[in-house]
Amino acid sequence: MPLHVGIGLSTDNDPQKAARECIRQARENLNFTSFNLAVVFSTLDYAHPTVFKTIGSLLENVPILGASSLAIISSQGIFKRGIVILLLAFSEDIHLSTACSQDIRSRPIRETGRQLADRLLSGLKNVPRDFGIFFADGLIPDSSSLLAGIQERLGRSFPLAGALASDNLAFKKTYLYFNGQVLSDSVCGMLWGGKINFGLGIKHGWKPLGKPHSVTKSSANIVYEIDGEPAVKFYEEYLGNEPSRLKSELRHISILYPLGIHLKGEEEYLLRNILFINEDGSLVFQGDVPQGCVVRLMIGTKESCLMAAGKAAGEANRGLKGNPAKFALVFNSVSRNILLGRQSVLELETVKEKLGENTPIIGLYTYGEQAPLKSIGYHGNTYFHNQTITILAAEG
Amino acid sequence: MLNDPQFTYFLFFGITITIACLAAVIVLKMRAIKQLRSTVNNLKRSLDEMDEQAKLIVRTDIELNKAQEELDKKIGELYALQKLSREITTTLEESQIFQKIGSAELGELGFEKAFAFLWEAKGFKLRLSLGYETSNLQRVITMINSEALYSEIITKAQVLSSASLSKQNPQLKEKICRVFDVYSFVITPILPKEANKGFLFVGTKNAGTFISAGDEELIAILANQLGQAMDNAKLFENTWRAQQDLENKVTERTNELTLALNEVKNISRRKTNFISSVSHELRTPLTSIKGYASILLAGKLGEVPQEVHERLEKINKHSDELVHMVNDLLDIARIESGKVIMNKESVDLKQISEEVSDLMSVQLKEKGILFSSNIAQEAKDVFADRGQIARVFINLIGNASKFTPSGGKISVNIRKLYNFAQIDISDTGCGISQEAQEKIFEEFYRVDNAVNQQVKGTGLGLSLVKHIIEAHGGKIWIKSEPGAGSTFSFTIPLAI
Repeated sequence: MPLHVGIGLSTDNDPQKAARECIRQARENLNFTSFNLAVVFSTLDYAHPTVFKTIGSLLENVPILGASSLAIISSQGIFKRGIVILLLAFSEDIHLSTACSQDIRSRPIRETGRQLADRLLSGLKNVPRDFGIFFADGLIPDSSSLLAGIQERLGRSFPLAGALASDNLAFKKTYLYFNGQVLSDSVCGMLWGGKINFGLGIKHGWKPLGKPHSVTKSSANIVYEIDGEPAVKFYEEYLGNEPSRLKSELRHISILYPLGIHLKGEEEYLLRNILFINEDGSLVFQGDVPQGCVVRLMIGTKESCLMAAGKAAGEANRGLKGNPAKFALVFNSVSRNILLGRQSVLELETVKEKLGENTPIIGLYTYGEQAPLKSIGYHGNTYFHNQTITILAAEG
Repeated sequence: MLNDPQFTYFLFFGITITIACLAAVIVLKMRAIKQLRSTVNNLKRSLDEMDEQAKLIVRTDIELNKAQEELDKKIGELYALQKLSREITTTLEESQIFQKIGSAELGELGFEKAFAFLWEAKGFKLRLSLGYETSNLQRVITMINSEALYSEIITKAQVLSSASLSKQNPQLKEKICRVFDVYSFVITPILPKEANKGFLFVGTKNAGTFISAGDEELIAILANQLGQAMDNAKLFENTWRAQQDLENKVTERTNELTLALNEVKNISRRKTNFISSVSHELRTPLTSIKGYASILLAGKLGEVPQEVHERLEKINKHSDELVHMVNDLLDIARIESGKVIMNKESVDLKQISEEVSDLMSVQLKEKGILFSSNIAQEAKDVFADRGQIARVFINLIGNASKFTPSGGKISVNIRKLYNFAQIDISDTGCGISQEAQEKIFEEFYRVDNAVNQQVKGTGLGLSLVKHIIEAHGGKIWIKSEPGAGSTFSFTIPLAI
C-alpha cells in the first residue's frame, strides 16, 4: 500500500470548531479509513490544552506531533490565524517511531537531545533508520547543543530536519504538540525507516557583504570578540548606529543583516540571528558561532529570498529521484515572513510551482531550522540555521 | 692542491662571482618583495575601501527597507480601512454597524483585539469585542465603568495610544495594557452628532508592534467612520419614521375622503331616485291635463269661445313643454343610475350631422344662418348609440341656432384625436361668460342673457348631453368668450 495523505485547514474563530473542522477535512481528503500519523501546526489562538484534548480524542491513538507558529502555511495559503493538520496512512513496510522529551531547561541541553534520540531509537527497534524530524521549543537558549545531543546518538551525518516553534513575535512562549498534549520547554520527534523517501532542500538567499572578519573569542552561542574588538562594534561599524539605538532595533536588524559563517566545503553561508546584546558588548546569537571561524555581514533582498525558496523546493524535488512528492513540510524562518511581508505568498507560490500545484503542503514559521547544508542526497552534517526555508518533500 | 695558488685564485674568483650573483638575486628579490608589498597594500586599501562601500550599502539598504516596510504596512492598512469604511458607511442599521468589524479586518489593520463601548443612560455598554474570551468580558466592562478615564476620552475627544502614553504617563499605559491584556493599543473616541457617543479600543499582544502616529490616525479615521455611520443610521431611521407617519396620514385621509365620497354618491343616488319618481308621478297628471285640454280644443264637448280656445292652446303648449322637461329629467336620472343601456354600434357622424341640419333647415333659413360641416373621413365612424348621439347633435346645434343672430354661422368640425372623434360645434353667437361656462352643464342652469329672457328652456339640455357623452366614455367642454361666439367640443370613441 502506498502512502496516503490528507490535509485539513480551518481558520474558524472558535478553536474547538476549528479543530473538528480541520480533522473532518483531512479525513475526507485522506480518502482512507485508518491512519498512522497526524502532524499539526497552528497559530497561538489554538494552542490550548482543551483544543488538543479534542484533537487527541478525535484521532484516537494515532501519534500527533506539531508546533505553534506565527502563521500557518498550507497549500491554500498563509494564514495569520488558523490550524492545519496532515494525516498520513501507510502500510507496514514504512516504519515510524515518535517520542518526546520534556523539561529541557532542567538539565544540560545536550542531555535532552540524547534522551530524545534514545527514545526514538528504541521505538524503531531494529529497523534501519533513514530520516529524523523534530520540533522543539523556540525559546530554548542553545538549540545547537540540542542538535549535538541528538547527533551523538543518531550519528553526525545522519539526515535530520528540525524546526523551532514560534509565537506571535512576542518571544514569550512557544508550544509543542505531542499526542493530546500542549507542551513548552520540550522537544518531540519522529524517526523514519523503510519504504519512504525524503527529499530535502534548504536555502536562504543571503549574500556576503564587506570584508571577512574572524571570530577571535566565542563560546557556544555567545560571541565576545570579532577581530579582537567587542563583537557589538562589528554591527555598529556597518550600521552606523549608536549602541542604544542598535539595541532597540537589534532583533529587526539582525533579521535583515545576519552574521554569516563561512564553512569550508559548504556552498551557502550559515546564518545567525542576534538574540540580544550583553552589557560587555558581546552578542548572543540563536545558534553556536565557533571561535576562529570567518564571518561576514550578510545582506538579503526579497528577490534573492524568493529565488532561494525556488531553489530549495527544486532540491527537495531532486531528492525524490524522479518520483512525485506525496506531501511536503515547510519550515520557514519567521525572519523571511518579516522581510517578505505581503510577498510571503509569492514564496509559497514559488514552492508550489516547483513541487506541483496539487501537492499537499503544510508548514510553519520557525525561530530556527535544523538541516544539512548540502541538500542533494542530504548526507551531510546537520547544522542549526537561521533565516532559511527548509523544504522536506516525501514519497512512498 | 690547496696550496696551488692557481686553485686559490679560482676559488676566490668563484666565491666572488657566487656572492655577486647572490647579491644580484637578493636585489631582484628585494625589488619583487617591494612590488608585492605595494600590491598587497593596494589590495588591502581596495578591500578597506570596499568595506567602506559595504557600510554605505548597508546603511542605504536599512533606510530603504524601513521605508519599504512602512509603506507595505501603510498600504495594507489603508486597503483594509477602505474596505471596512465601505462596509460600514453602507450600513443603515445601527446594530449592524459594529458587526462589520471582524477578526480578519482587524488583523489587516495590524491588531487582533478590539472593544467598542457606547455610553447609554448610566454606563458604557459593550457593542463589539474581538479576541477576548467571553468569560473575561464582564471583568473588563466593570473596570471600564469604574474609571473616569474612559468618559474623559469622550468629553476631551482625545486619542490615547501606548506610544503617546509611554512618554507622557507610563503608569497609565501599563494599567491599560493590563486591563485589556495587550502590549500596544490605540483608544479613540466615537463621536456621532446624534447617536450615543463611545470609544473604540484596538490592541495587540504582539511585542513587535509599535504604534506610529499613522496608526493612531488610521484608527481615528475608523472611529470617525463609525460615528458617521451611526449618525446616518439615526438619520435614516428618523426619515423612515417620518415617511411612515406620512404614509399613515395619507391612508387616514384617503379613508376619510372615501367615506365622504360614498356619502356624496349616496346623496346623488337619492336625488336621482327622487327626480325619477317625481317625474314619473308628474307624467300621469300631465297626460290627463293634456288629454282634457285636447278634448276641449277639439270641441267634442261643445264649441268653446275664442278666448277659452286661446287659453286652452296655451295649456296644451305648456303641458307639452312640461312633458318634454319631465322626459329630459327622466332620461338624465336613468343615465345617471345606469338604467339606460346604450345600444352601441358603428355610427356615421356625417349622416347624423346631415340629418340634424336637414331637420333644422327651416329654422336656420328663417334666421339666415349659414351651416357648414367639415368631417374628416378617418373620424366619421364612431361606436355609439345612434339615437342618443343624434340627440346630442340636435341639442347642441339647436342651442347654437338659438343664440346665433341672423346672418351668423354654425359649423361642425369632426377630426380624429387618438382613438376618439372630436366634434367641435361652433357658432357666432353672443358667447358665454367665464363664470357661466363653469356651471353651464349643471341641471336647471340657464345663462342669464337677452335671448334666454325671451326664449324658454328647461335648463336640462346640456346636462343631458353631458350625461350621454360621459355614458359613452367621452368628454365635453366649452370654449367661449362673450361676443365672440362659442365652441362646444366633445369626444366619442371611434368605431374599431
